[in-house]
Amino acid sequence: MTSSSRRVLPGFGLSLGYALVYLSLLVLIPLGGLVLKASTLTFAEFWRIATTEQAIASYRVSFGASFAAAAINAVFGTLVAWVLVRYPFPGKRLVDAFVDLPFALPTAVAGITLATLYAGNGWIGRHLEPLGVKIAYTPYGIVVALAFITLPFIVRTLQPVIEDIEPEIEEAAASLGASRWQTFAKVLFPAIFPALLTGFTLAFSRALGEFGSVIFIAGNLPMVSEITPLLIIAKLEQQDVVGATALAVVMLAISFVLLLTINALQWWAASRHKGRTA
Amino acid sequence: MSITIQNITKRFGNFVALDGIDLEIPTGELVALLGPSGCGKTTLLRIIAGMETADGGEVLFSGQEATHLHARDRNVGFVFQHYALFRHMTVFENVAFGLRVKPRKERPGNAEIRKRVMDLLALVQLDWLADRYPSQLSGGQRQRIALARALAVEPKVLLLDEPFGALDTKVRKELRRWLRRLHDEMHISSVFVTHDQEEALEVADRVVVMNHGRIEQIGSPDEVYSNPASPFVYQFLGNVNVFRSRVHGAWAEVGRGESAGDGETLAFVRPHEIDIEHAPVANGLEAQVQDVHPIGPVVRVELAHASELIEVELTRERADGLGLAKGQHVWLRPRQVKVFAAPEAAAYPLEEGGSGI
Repeated sequence: MTSSSRRVLPGFGLSLGYALVYLSLLVLIPLGGLVLKASTLTFAEFWRIATTEQAIASYRVSFGASFAAAAINAVFGTLVAWVLVRYPFPGKRLVDAFVDLPFALPTAVAGITLATLYAGNGWIGRHLEPLGVKIAYTPYGIVVALAFITLPFIVRTLQPVIEDIEPEIEEAAASLGASRWQTFAKVLFPAIFPALLTGFTLAFSRALGEFGSVIFIAGNLPMVSEITPLLIIAKLEQQDVVGATALAVVMLAISFVLLLTINALQWWAASRHKGRTA
Repeated sequence: MSITIQNITKRFGNFVALDGIDLEIPTGELVALLGPSGCGKTTLLRIIAGMETADGGEVLFSGQEATHLHARDRNVGFVFQHYALFRHMTVFENVAFGLRVKPRKERPGNAEIRKRVMDLLALVQLDWLADRYPSQLSGGQRQRIALARALAVEPKVLLLDEPFGALDTKVRKELRRWLRRLHDEMHISSVFVTHDQEEALEVADRVVVMNHGRIEQIGSPDEVYSNPASPFVYQFLGNVNVFRSRVHGAWAEVGRGESAGDGETLAFVRPHEIDIEHAPVANGLEAQVQDVHPIGPVVRVELAHASELIEVELTRERADGLGLAKGQHVWLRPRQVKVFAAPEAAAYPLEEGGSGI
């Protein structure tokens, strides 16, 4: 008897092979091609292209705005998920469906709409302008667009986890003398934290790659509100394919390191109560 | 601490969960709220704990008004049917929770917390599990941890909502004896909710039998079992055979002394209070043996009289002595009968067989 025939679940070889081929065709081969293309540059050339002032400013805008958007949604998305799970109210299903809209809407439409609303003469921008707050055509505009795009990632990741928390857990905490805040900080938050981290990661990575909605609201001022994907497009339009791939590889590397770090954080959070699934 | 419940009512929409409940629970007593599901027993417990607000009536702790006190200010220990342990905390941290959330000036130091938690874990005999997570424990262990957690804040009242409901029979029996011993040691006023009459009769000092949001009877376990106040209590506490007097003329004779009416009465006889004889006996009822089931130490005999099924429970020795066989004709003699007037009894739909004890 071979060791593989002793497995209880059938089809391991076939399904693993399929999974690897699929992953390769869709993810690994294109990304490998990207790295290969970039490797036609010498390291000195690569470094020069990747570290121009404009490029570095664009990394800062891209990663900064994505992080800010994911962080904002980590707070308010959690609130939305909580309200949708815990409280019955009229029109709840409708509100629940709204959450998915950013998934479905073409991002360019979202970008144009947000830009119109937040522009100095728009419905919302009109009231913010006198207060000295400019949203459209600034980095804040980018954050607003990204927050819009990434909301469903946080809400949809958290909903099932919040549903899983029995109200009895809160009652137990209350009967033991915990205040509302203590119940949240010591009981509820630790329970949703791993899922929140997952949602944050998804939102953050989605925001990094976002292009369509951002370019309409960002104003695209070099050094101020220009995101890296836009810089890549600009290089492509100038037929500078190698330069574009160099920037893309930098993005890829930074994203990969960040995602790996967040994943490590998740493993750590999960291992703190590894017994959960036992 | 004593608990006084005065005229508590609670509705959920059109459903009346509690209909004017009055109850006095003296200090140090272990009281069981017993009833079928939907009788309002859990709602009453949750109102005592402050997790549900009553529509009317008052709850007093040691004579002090507590109706509007928040759950966290009632100093009540609550144990849930499904444990409600904090999954991301170790057993130790679960038990320590109540101490750690105390206001800073009342909060004991870390060494003190450690000592109190380990003492409690020793009390529930699970000190060796301090570093485990709840999901690594069995149901019985989880419930004991939940109990230790509730006791950590030194509550004046302990409330348990179907504490053994999710456990298997053997663990349940072990745990309820253990709870009884624990209660005798701690002497804290305790109220537990159950739908299992055996549990209530075995563990409690006093049993409160509830039905349809009302209290049917309050009494010692012996009292409610041997002297049920209503047909419902009779039926709910153990198996019972019900005889309509007009059908079973001979048996109505037995009960006539206690009964006011004639013909419109129902006679209740427990299966173990009937003797089986081979020879005809005075006031006996002829019946045919349908089936014989030996169940552990007792033998359950099903008999038919006309179209009605009668259940009799014999000791194994007695059954062996009789040597019953299917189809045999025998005579039944009741040792104890309780008669209720039919209109009163008719208010309660009679369930076939009831629940076994």
